[in-house]
Amino acid sequence: MKYQSHQIALNFYTTSVLLFLVQVLVGIIAALQFIWPDFFILNFNTIRTLHINSLVVWLLMGMMGATYYVVTEESETELWSVPLGHLQFWATVIAVGAVVVGYIVMGLNPQANTEVFGTRLLNEGREYIEAPRWADILIVISVLLFLLNSFMTVMKTRKFTAVQGVLLGGLTFLALMYLPGMFYTKSMVKDQFWWWWVVHLWVEGSWELIAAALLAFMLHKLLGTDVKVLAKWMYIEVGLVLFTGILGLGHHYYWIGTPEYWLWVGGIFSSLEPIPLLLMVWDAFRTTRETRVPVQNRIGLYLTVAHAIFNFVGAGLWGVIHTLPQVNKWTHGTQITTAHGHLAFYGAYVLLIVAMIYVTVPSIRGDKEFNQSRGFQSFWWMTISMVFIVITITGAGMVQTYMERLLGLDYVTVKATYNLWFWIFRAIFGAGFLVGVLMLAADIFSIGKRPAS
Amino acid sequence: MSTNAAKNLFIYGSLLCFVVLVILTIDTMGKLDKRAPEITEEVNAGKKVWHKYDCIGCHTIFGNGSYFAPDMTKATERKPKEYLKKFLLDPRVIKADSAMPKLGLNEQEADDLIAFLDWTSKVDTNDWPPKPILASAIAGKAASAGQALFQKHDCSACHQIQGIGGAAGPDLTQVGARRPDIDWHIRHLKDPSSVVRDSAMPAFTDMNDEELKALAEFLITLK
Repeated sequence: MKYQSHQIALNFYTTSVLLFLVQVLVGIIAALQFIWPDFFILNFNTIRTLHINSLVVWLLMGMMGATYYVVTEESETELWSVPLGHLQFWATVIAVGAVVVGYIVMGLNPQANTEVFGTRLLNEGREYIEAPRWADILIVISVLLFLLNSFMTVMKTRKFTAVQGVLLGGLTFLALMYLPGMFYTKSMVKDQFWWWWVVHLWVEGSWELIAAALLAFMLHKLLGTDVKVLAKWMYIEVGLVLFTGILGLGHHYYWIGTPEYWLWVGGIFSSLEPIPLLLMVWDAFRTTRETRVPVQNRIGLYLTVAHAIFNFVGAGLWGVIHTLPQVNKWTHGTQITTAHGHLAFYGAYVLLIVAMIYVTVPSIRGDKEFNQSRGFQSFWWMTISMVFIVITITGAGMVQTYMERLLGLDYVTVKATYNLWFWIFRAIFGAGFLVGVLMLAADIFSIGKRPAS
Repeated sequence: MSTNAAKNLFIYGSLLCFVVLVILTIDTMGKLDKRAPEITEEVNAGKKVWHKYDCIGCHTIFGNGSYFAPDMTKATERKPKEYLKKFLLDPRVIKADSAMPKLGLNEQEADDLIAFLDWTSKVDTNDWPPKPILASAIAGKAASAGQALFQKHDCSACHQIQGIGGAAGPDLTQVGARRPDIDWHIRHLKDPSSVVRDSAMPAFTDMNDEELKALAEFLITLK
């Protein structure tokens, strides 16, 4: 291990993958509850809370691990404080564990979710940011300690690289955008208005900055591409991400009680959101094509390019199909959104973190050659399964839009009758996805430990 | 374009977009209260009930949330409040095959939650959700006086005929075969719980005898 700090990155990665496994297991339970609502001891709402919260947390922890790796590598030094890094890791694990216990207690006994100081004790009842206020405060402290450690590491050797700048800029933006979700409003309209600031400006703003920075980092590390060229395109990409993404927020303000001008703002800007994502695909292909060195870590490069492609398909294409107000009027609140959510998170962020793991973990463990075949198998199990999951949910969404919104059939009738086969296939492909994640989990403990046979 | 120019474009361009977002946000905040009814203590208490039971873990509201159960934005617009209250207190007594479990709401919480949903139903959502095309096209085309009353009282908010209509109450496609007795229907419409135990259907006391008879006659033709 080149730096002691890399052990912290490895701890974050390992926890990430274990939480990913939890996310997929509860996802399968949720899929089965679409067929049998009483399938499990916990109701759907608790299972779904666990499904989406474990997703957000494992991606964040993956980003933290990746950042600790990147800043030490780019600054060519240990972290500013290795003990603080370890402390921040364990504090995060304990806080996340406490929140999960709280969700389960609340799921078993909703009355335990009492009001304390004007806020809920166990579950705030707001999608994605269900974590109660006390946990919000712990999360903010953890992120501040993480940012402090990362910034001070950069300051140690003052190697201000473009990748570090955009990565830490994105993480700071991420921390700031958590704050609009931390106050109560009596109006549900204002509640959702600020809630979208958090959710949208994370996944279509700050997280995309982090993704662009990590993409540039991986391309450089794998292919040895000139940093200046990568940096220029990275700035153009993140620039376009924010020019389209910040005001693209308007596509969430069509129907929640906000003024009509948001139909124009959201419609125009969010239609342009796929452009930077397409540029990232082109960037990944161009860089790969132009390289002349033989690539040792083929799985790393494979996942990097796959991330760029599925970021564009999932976040870009599956987003833009229902982003115009004329279309969204009919599809809003249907399974079309679920389909987009699944493919976007998978392409933009799941594959990003998995790629970072395959690119960096072998070198953390000593840059040995490693057996890459399980990595490829894991990728294909996950990707083929996810593509079919998305096809089934998209089908369900189209049937729902047609029958419920256009014909006027009841929601429950459509869900229980006309969409039943889609739910059955979705659950089957969910099991396929689990196989891929189990392979990834096996790899995180083993890659780089033994030379390839 | 040089790397430095790209960097400056990114930083200053993004800041400009963010400033525009802040300006639009300030403008929107000034307009929101005019687009929604006043928030009473009861409505606020209902919103807290919504959060307490993590309703958004299954339902959507303004189309946002989970997609496991129906959207609640306009829940009180067509469904009678008596029905909603009984359903919230114990869903499966009212509808045996409901996917919703008993969550333990008390009467006060149920009333507050309904007041909150009544508030959301009156928010100006730029006409969302849209009126379904087919259901709107056939509305108002009645073959008999009874069918006209069926439409007037929006029975299809809760009941289905041939697949069209809500699923809150029993399907009426073949109700005429199940209940061929006109008097039974008249008694049921006047006071549902006198003939159906635990019924959550409201009494239709504003119909006169002639109207009750016409509606009952229409119902028994459904077979």
